[in-house]
Amino acid sequence: MAYVNVSRDPERNFKNGYLATSLLGLGTTLVTFTKQVFGLEESNTVQWPEVEYQYSDRFKGAHFLTKRPDGRVRCTACFLCATNCPAQCITIVAGESPDKGVEKYPVRFEIDILRCVFCGYCEEACPVDAIRLGPEYSMAGLAERKWVYTKDYLLERDAVKRKVGEKQTSKKDENVKHDSVDSSLPNIHIGGSDGH
Amino acid sequence: MSNQVTLSINNQSVTVPAGSTIMDAAQKAGVSVPHFCWHPGLSIAGVCRFCMVKVEGMPKLQIACNTPASEGMKVDTVSDEVKETHKWALEFHLINHPLDCPICDQAGECELQNYYMKVGKYQSQMEDQKVLKPKALDVGDTLVLDTERCILCSRCVRFEDEVTKTSTLGIFNRGDQATIGTYPDRKIKHNYSYNLADICPVGAFTAKDFRFKCRVWFLKETKTVCPGCSTGCNVNLFQNSNQREYYRLKPRHNADVNGHWMCDTGRTMYEHLNASARLASPLLSGQSISSAAALQAVADAVKGLSADKVALVLTAQYTNEEYAGVLSSLKTVLKGTPKVFVWRDESEKADDFDGILFRGDRNPNTRGMMDVLKEHAIQPTMLKGDFSALAGTSPEVTVVMGPEIEAGYPNLQKALSRFSEMKKAVYFGNSLTDAAKKFWLRVPVKTFAEKSGTFVNFNGVAQKLKANPPVFTNVKAVDEYFAEVGKLAHTAG
Repeated sequence: MAYVNVSRDPERNFKNGYLATSLLGLGTTLVTFTKQVFGLEESNTVQWPEVEYQYSDRFKGAHFLTKRPDGRVRCTACFLCATNCPAQCITIVAGESPDKGVEKYPVRFEIDILRCVFCGYCEEACPVDAIRLGPEYSMAGLAERKWVYTKDYLLERDAVKRKVGEKQTSKKDENVKHDSVDSSLPNIHIGGSDGH
Repeated sequence: MSNQVTLSINNQSVTVPAGSTIMDAAQKAGVSVPHFCWHPGLSIAGVCRFCMVKVEGMPKLQIACNTPASEGMKVDTVSDEVKETHKWALEFHLINHPLDCPICDQAGECELQNYYMKVGKYQSQMEDQKVLKPKALDVGDTLVLDTERCILCSRCVRFEDEVTKTSTLGIFNRGDQATIGTYPDRKIKHNYSYNLADICPVGAFTAKDFRFKCRVWFLKETKTVCPGCSTGCNVNLFQNSNQREYYRLKPRHNADVNGHWMCDTGRTMYEHLNASARLASPLLSGQSISSAAALQAVADAVKGLSADKVALVLTAQYTNEEYAGVLSSLKTVLKGTPKVFVWRDESEKADDFDGILFRGDRNPNTRGMMDVLKEHAIQPTMLKGDFSALAGTSPEVTVVMGPEIEAGYPNLQKALSRFSEMKKAVYFGNSLTDAAKKFWLRVPVKTFAEKSGTFVNFNGVAQKLKANPPVFTNVKAVDEYFAEVGKLAHTAG
């Protein structure tokens, strides 16, 4: 049988050694530094937080909830985001909306942002365009901060208003509801109906 | 001519009694024929036209639910022709269906949804606007009606006419305006209303009790027995196992006991199972202590007492195994049989029966308890409104195995106050009532959902309970506690 001796690197010589490569790297750094100091080359470094980096519109940052044109929450508490969430970080408590055309709405909508993996599956699952991953990427904070994003925070925080603005109102078509959704009995009992 | 006919379904031969339908034969052969309006517990309506099957020799497809099976019939349920028919039947059922599955409680267990996933057209060819109808109607204390979602299968109308005979519901108007609804000034208010939500194949009827609380795909079911009365209906108990929270009960078919139904009283039997409604740890004179310390206290109290100084008060809400375990442990410790009392509520009319399922005896295991006591040759004394028999024996220790379902004991507070006046009164049960707080020692126990055991119903049918993981891990069943007490008293003595 043939053996390959791997105990010694055949390429090993002074040129590939530690000292030479370290000096080579330092040289590159010094050359680039000098060029940038004298304005011969532009720097790629962004001076965060003084300067904010502009990610693309499709960036998946911290979540926000969209609104209906009248300003109410768009979410219908269908739980599809919570079902689809691989990190199980979404907690929803559904309630009966006073508006019968809406019927169901989230009383509580919470995202445990420390568990979130920013996969965007909640956004994918949502049938009514109610949850989106926004452009906000700077989320660091101290331990005492509230790491569970509440419904109010997801709807109303300043960072979203500043960065998303008008786009927080979803333009997706709503189901058209009949006037009779507010009647207490089927419309057959109200006034003289045809048929019957 | 024999009274059996043999036919073949998908080349599988099956023999059924003459007069059966193709649907009956298919059920027997284990072939599933999709259906909406047909329900084994109701009469045949044949209105949904969905259970179409191909019968050899007949030019058109036939509905399985209303076509009698005949000798030598050749039925096919899987051919492309049948599938194509199902696809189009669904398309027509969905013409006016609102498709608001995201906010519909039925989603996940909806027949319409399930069949659509299997044989749906996916690209609808309907161009007209949907007919809009009233939604979220209040049709009674227990149900919400959405007439848009309804596919007019008439199951609910037949249920009201045939099972409860209340006839509250009807189908009004014609054609695409046809609407299900209650008659003017009438509401659904019988004790079997939640069955309407069960049999509704879509989300037209939804239960107020369960409305918007949890999506059904988070729930896991356990096959168990309802502890609400002595009928012992077979039920599925639904738990969200991540939250350790119980949400509802649904009936499970058992022709010998409950058929397809259960009552609304039984549907509330999940409420006392959740942590918020239960005692979490033993309390000695109001102080929370460990289970081990509580059992030590019981063992110290009964140690060295003669058997007639210990009174055991039973309620018929525990399993046979628990009664047997408690009695044999106590017999060993006391070297004799303690005085046994059976506590019944004073307002109880045990022989009441509503004609369908619900019985006046609100204890699930009266028969079983009496059988166990007979086996141990014990003649119990009845305590029903009059507690002098117990006070007359002046016991040193009184052990009360309290009722798990307190709704069956309207005079619970009064009775508990009487028991707690006894010397060293020990209460096994999860009651959080004020009267229970007066006991010397209170020990929480497992509920019916957390233990395996046997209930014997009014008719002598023994049925097994199936255990879920416990809500509180430190809480045990009474027989397990007494086995422990037996060991402690033995080592101490």
